[in-house]
This record gives sequence, structure tokens and C-alpha cells, in this order.
Amino acid sequence: MRALAAVLAVIWLVPLAWTLDTALKPESETTRIPVSWFVPGMSLDAFGRVFGDGEVLAWLGNSLLVGVAVTVLTVAVTSLAAFGLSRTRFRGRSFVLALLVAGVVVPPQVLIVPLFAEMVGLGIADTYWALVLPQVVLPAMVYVLKKFFDGVPRELEEAAVIDGAGRLRVYWSLMLPLARPALAAVAIFTFVTTWNNFLWPFVAVSDPHLMTFPVGLATVQSSYGVRYAQVLAAALLGGLPLVALFLAFQRQLVTAIKG
Amino acid sequence: MKRSGFWFVAPFLVLYVAFLVVPMLVGLGASVTDQGITGHAKFVGGANYLELFRDPAVWSSLWHTLIFTVTSTPAIVLVGLGMALLANRAVPERWLYRLAFFAPYLLPVSVVVLIWNWLYQPGFGLINDLLTRLGLGEVGWLSTDGMAMTSIVITTVWWTAGFGFLLYLAALQEIPRQLYEASALDGATPLQQLRRITMPLLSRTHQLVIVLQILASLKVFDQIYLLSGQGGIPGVRSIVQYIYESGFTRFRVGYASAISYVFFALIAVIALVHFRLTAEKR
Amino acid sequence: MDRRTFILAGTALATAACSGPAGLAYWDLFSGGDGSRMMDMVGAIGTRLDAVTLAWGTPYYTKLAMAAAGGRAPDLAILHLSRLPGFAPMGLLDPFDDDLLAAHGLTQDRFPPAVWNRARSDGRTYAVPLDTHPLVLFYNTELCGKAGLLENGRLRPIRGPEQLLAAFDKAGLALAAARDVNPWRLFWTLYRQQNGQGLLDDAKALTALRLLGKIGATTRFTDNNAAVALFGSGQAGFFWNGEWELPTFQTQHTPFDVAPFPQVYDRPAVHADSHAFVLPHQRSRDPQLTAQTISAVAELIGQSLTWARGGHIPAYQPVAASQAYLKLLPQANYRSAAAEVELDPPVWFAGAASDLQSAAGATIGAVLGGTKSPEVALGELKATLVRLRNTPKPA
Repeated sequence: MRALAAVLAVIWLVPLAWTLDTALKPESETTRIPVSWFVPGMSLDAFGRVFGDGEVLAWLGNSLLVGVAVTVLTVAVTSLAAFGLSRTRFRGRSFVLALLVAGVVVPPQVLIVPLFAEMVGLGIADTYWALVLPQVVLPAMVYVLKKFFDGVPRELEEAAVIDGAGRLRVYWSLMLPLARPALAAVAIFTFVTTWNNFLWPFVAVSDPHLMTFPVGLATVQSSYGVRYAQVLAAALLGGLPLVALFLAFQRQLVTAIKG
Repeated sequence: MKRSGFWFVAPFLVLYVAFLVVPMLVGLGASVTDQGITGHAKFVGGANYLELFRDPAVWSSLWHTLIFTVTSTPAIVLVGLGMALLANRAVPERWLYRLAFFAPYLLPVSVVVLIWNWLYQPGFGLINDLLTRLGLGEVGWLSTDGMAMTSIVITTVWWTAGFGFLLYLAALQEIPRQLYEASALDGATPLQQLRRITMPLLSRTHQLVIVLQILASLKVFDQIYLLSGQGGIPGVRSIVQYIYESGFTRFRVGYASAISYVFFALIAVIALVHFRLTAEKR
Repeated sequence: MDRRTFILAGTALATAACSGPAGLAYWDLFSGGDGSRMMDMVGAIGTRLDAVTLAWGTPYYTKLAMAAAGGRAPDLAILHLSRLPGFAPMGLLDPFDDDLLAAHGLTQDRFPPAVWNRARSDGRTYAVPLDTHPLVLFYNTELCGKAGLLENGRLRPIRGPEQLLAAFDKAGLALAAARDVNPWRLFWTLYRQQNGQGLLDDAKALTALRLLGKIGATTRFTDNNAAVALFGSGQAGFFWNGEWELPTFQTQHTPFDVAPFPQVYDRPAVHADSHAFVLPHQRSRDPQLTAQTISAVAELIGQSLTWARGGHIPAYQPVAASQAYLKLLPQANYRSAAAEVELDPPVWFAGAASDLQSAAGATIGAVLGGTKSPEVALGELKATLVRLRNTPKPA
């Protein structure tokens, strides 16, 4: 069993190891036949060139910007909505709940074409707005948070209300701190999803300066022909942040993705 | 006070309406026009819907999507389950398994495709190099439709098995140790334990993983589009890719919207059937 | 989430949305040798261009159309003239101001009529051609010499299908045809050499397909990389492709020369395309930036000789007729092809990397590969054309 596990793990790691290996080779050695793992002159040059070029860093910057913006907006908007649905009664509440369920069924993939047309109509195609705003709509997140709020005992809230706190205050000072683990899960899930999202960002922007990392990497070519070591170094650099995040926040990430 | 509840929901609702309801309506409107990419449109009635049922590319891309789903889903589920069973054992290198099995899932699709494109290369690709060393012939991993689909499935399994792995691992950890200890006292072998304790207790997870995987596979676009050289192998084109190409490569926003709607109906039916089935069981 | 992060993210978003690139935004689809020559040209001119290269073919045209539809397209872009009928009438390109072009010497009389006509749509100029790039016949001077096909060191003119087949038979032809648009290019050449009109004259199409079937039967039919390798390493006497492969064989020191595509039928004609500069549609075009863009176009066109090193025939006649170009060999050996070029038919579904080229290419490729008879292929080709013609043109 142990041997089997080790073999499987090695198979799973070889593609990554080979990528790293290629990225460390001098460009002239990358396409040599037969293949060899160790060649003279291995160095971090390719990584250096990726940094020097700046393009990949700009895409990573865009990814970070978009990821943070979507995450912040999602957490803010969905937690407010979840609180409202869990703790208040208003006309149309059941309609909103039904909308949420309906929204979960809609695959974002079927919206790409009309959504692009809408961005064109609004005049925000090819802007950060087009990248961020449509990605904020995650009805499932409202659902997750609502379930969490539903589980918070009413007594806590009533005590606060007696102390004269308004609803916004109850939300901000009582519920949000209580919901920290759930919010963290929502935030991490949203960030990971946004960071790795391909299809919508691919549709939303055409300007290479606005592209997120996955889109830029797949779309923009080098004018000087394919430089394998450099391309794979860029791929590793862009793939690294989330893996590092995984190592740092293993437990939270696992809970988030399970949720 | 009565209205204040609504204001909590309002910001979300605004975004929901603007970027989910409105595009649904925009798409519905566009689907009965000949709208092009620049927005000009003329009403054409049901012409787009009639056309798509006769369009061989619609059927072939649905077929590719189906093939992808039925081949990748079992592989991903089985590999994910196997990984979880292997990694759930109390061994010191457990963290390494978790990292190895789960790391690929955290990579953006374009990174995954670059890596595999590199591995699949003729001549200097690692896989073909290995085959040559073993005395087997090279395989043109991306050169024929059939092989390209196989390569896409292999890549997908490597990339996403970690998701099933994680769900199974979590489910395994919830099974009380005492069950195993008690059965061990009764003389049960590990294989018997697997069959009588582990598998029955995982049945809900199976269902969850399989359903999530099927729904995700039907919506596949990224890795097929990118691994086939951005649409360069029409023989593996998925339905979402055909929607993308109709709308943005052939500039037919109206037609693409009509296909989107039919595809959406299909997904909704599958989701409903699943919902019905699970509702009856409970 | 604390408020500070939120505000910070908001500000970052706002500022990032406002800051743009420094020079004029310019998109092309050139990689490899063409890519680096274009970068040299961009670097050599006075106007600052912020150049980006996207993947050749369908991905490029998809992104260009989406950018133009969104209204925030780059200031300048490369377009194959064969794609103009799919782009200009839809409003995806902005027309050039003819007076501004004239002020920079970019006038009709300085371009070959065959390409200049295709740069216009609905009475306006939408493109400034940089080159024409026809199919040519590469030949290995050693192998063809041994086969007795040379005369004074140059390929003896090949006339008619029999001579063509005999020559290929003697020296061997490497042909790129698998999963490629080359079959369509060859077909269109042979069809137009018979003066075939429209889409499609059955008898003339069948003649072309039958010849291709015969050529395929005697040929090392293969994919492009393999064909290049075969010719480059001296294993085939002929190589049929676009002139853009020229630098590859120069760096490989293959003993080769280039001839125009042979005249097999009634009139000289050869499939070609033309890389041209266009103004992708912008919602609000800044006249000052547009003027700068046009002067950048004129400057780039002025660098045509650099471009010609890649094999392409300069479209700009002052360069094409210059001594420097006439001395550039083997490029100047096939310059006559510029007068015989046949672009794709001017319909919205044709052009470089279009549906027509890939669908028809697959059918014709099967004839070359010997897996489909010319008669069956003709039926399929016609069905493809019917399907494409019946596809409603997007508004």
C-alpha cells in the first residue's frame, strides 16, 4: 500500500518536476533528443528573464487585483444578503430565496455571449469592471453564509438589540466576528476560483495589459519564437502562489473547498 | 424597520440582476435575432433554433462533450478515491501525498496545458522519450482526434482528481475509528473492512463527487480549447467551445445565444432529474 | 474584511483602470523570424509603438474582433486582406482618411492594384498593404540539377500538368498538407489558373482536384514541420509552400532557390494573401492619435526591405522597384508573382484561418493524401460551400 501511494505520488509530481527541470535548462538544451534531466549550465536565468520582461508580473498583478476585488466585494455583498435573509422578514424575501436557488443552476458558461454583449452595451468591455463585476455574483455563497447565520442563537442578537444596537450594528459587530470561519471559507473559495478562472476573463478583456495571468499566459506570444524554458518558468511562477497558499493555509483551504 | 431587511439584500440583488438576470434576458432576446458582435440586430423569429437542430457541428460538439464526460468522470472518481484511501493512512509522509495529489488542482488551466503540451511533444517530449526508451513507438498525442481526446482526458484527470481526493479524504476522516477497531476484533481483513464499512459509508460522497464531476464536465471548455491549440482540432470541440466560436469567431451573437439556451435547458433537465432522484431517496 | 482593505482595493481598481500603455497600441500575429523582423521595424521608427503578438490565426482574429466590438481596440493592427470582407462591413474597422494617407505618400498608384482593390470596401480605404505573400516553388538546386531540370542554374520553366508531374517525379516533392490550409491554397491556385469563377465551377474544380490527387500519389505527403525538414535536409527536390519558409532554409544552408508558382493551366495565377495595417474600431477615436498612427504606418511601410528579408514581396512599389530589393536574392527571383496574386474569394466566411480554409482544406487534404477520390471531394466541397453560403451573415 505504502509503495503504491509513493508510486502514485511520484507520477503526480513528475510533470511538475519536469517543468521545473526544463525551466532551469539553457534554451538550447530544452529540445534535445534524447531527453536528459541534468545538463550542464542549469540556472535560474529563465526566471530572471521572466521578471525582467515584466509582462508576467503585470498579469500576476492583474490577477491579484481582480482576485482581491472580487473577494472583497463578494464577502461584503453576500454576507449582507445572507444576514438580511436570515435575520429579517421583508416583502419579497421568499422570492429572493427562490432567485438564489435558480441562480445556482445557471452555469456561467451559458452567459458568456450575452454577458459580453451587455459589457459592450454598457461600454465597459475591456476594463477591470468587466473582469470584476460579473464574477461577484455567487448565489451559492449567500446560501452558505445564510445557513451559518441561521445557526447563530437568537439570544445573542436579542441581547445586543436590548442594548440599543441597530441591525447594521448587529451585523457588523456581532454576526461578522462570529462568522469569521465561514467568511474565511467563502473568501478563500472565491479567491481561488477567481484567481484560476479562465473563460470569463478570457472573454471580458482583449487588451493584453488588462489580462489576468491565466489568460495572458495562454494568449500572448513571444515575438521572438518559442522560448520553452522561459514559458515554463513563467507558468511555474504563476502557478506557485496558490500552491504556497495551500501549504500555508492547508486546513482552511480544505474546509473552504469542501464548502 | 420592515423595509430595512431588504436593504441588506439590495446590493447583492443589484449585482445579481445586472449580471445574471439581465444577461439571461439579453441572451433570450438575442436568440431570436441575427445579432452580430457589434450589436446590430434584426428579428428572425425561431430561425436560429431551427438552424441549430440541423447544424452538424452542434451535434458533434455535444457528442464530444458527452464522450469527455463519460470517460473522464469514472477516471477522476476512481483515482480520487484511490488517492484518498492511500493517503488516509497514518504514515509520516502523509503531507507529501496531500501536496502531490492536490497541488495540480490549484494550478490555473493555462499552466496545466503548458505543462502537458510540453510532456506530449513528439521527439523531445518526456512521454514519447520514455516510450522510445522502452522500445515502443512514439505516440502522436495531439495529432489525431481520438488521441487528442485521450490526451485531454489524461490531463484532466491529473489536474482535477485532487478535488475528488479532497472530498473523499474528508469523508474518510469522519468515519469513527472504533468501527474499524471493533471489526478487527471480529477478525475482519482490511479488504472486508473496505467493503463492509468504508464503501457503504462513502455512498453519499460518491454521489456528490459524481454529480459535481458530471456537471463540471458538461460545461468543459478551458482545457479542450487550449490543448487543441485554441480550437485547432475541431474533432474534440466541446459544446461551450462551439458557443464561444459561434459568438466570437463567427460573430454570430444571436445564434450563439440560441445554442446557449438549448444547452442551458439540457443542464437544467439533468439538474432536475438529479434533484428528483435524490429527493425520492430521502 | 476591514474597511481599509476595501477602500485600498477600490482605489487600486480605479487608478489601474485609468492608466494605459505608453506608446500607440499595436497588435500583430507574427512569431518566429517575422516576429523579430517586425520588432526590428517597430524599433527603427520614430513613433513609439507598444507592440503585442497574439497567437496566429483564429485566436488572433477572434480577439481582434472582440476588441473592436468592445470599442477599446488597439490603435493599429495587422489584418490579412482576405479577412477584410468579414471585418470592414461589420464595423469592426475604422476607415482611413485618404487625404491623410496621401500626405504620407500612401496612395493607390504606389500599390499593386490586386491588393489595393482588396484594401477598399464600400468606397473607402480600410487597409494599407504591407506585403503580398504568394505560394512559391522552392527547389533544391543540387537535386534538380542532377535531375536535369535546371537551365543556366535556374529552374527551367514548368508548363502544364504533365511537366509538373514529371518534375516532381524526378526530384521529389515535400508537401505540407495535413491539418493545414495549404490544400485550399493549392486548389485555389489551380482553379484560378483555369479562370474558374465564383464558388464553384464543377468541371474546373474537378480538374484541379484530379491533378492534386495525382500529385499526392507521387509525393511525400506530410505535415508542415516534416515537409520543412525533408526539404531542408535535402531529401526532397521541391517544396511547395508560401515564401515565408524562406529564412528557415537560409539558416539551414540548404542549396536552394525559389521560383514563382508554375503556370499549369491557361493563365498565371497564384494563391496569396497580404498583411495589411488596419485601424480596429474604437468607440471614440482621437484624431491626433489617429494621425500619429498613420505616420507610424508610413514609417513601417518605409521599412519594407527589412520585411522582405523574411520572403514577403513588398507591396509598397517605391521599395519593390528599388535597387536594394532587386539585389535581394532569392527574394527578387519571384517578385513577378505579385502581379498574379489571387486572394481568397471576397466573401465574409473566407480568408486566412477562416471556416472556408479549414473546412475545404480538410476535404482537399484528403484528396492529396489519397483517402478521398476527387469526385467525392468535389461533392463534399460543394456541400461545405452551400452550408457556408446558407449561414446567415451576422448583422
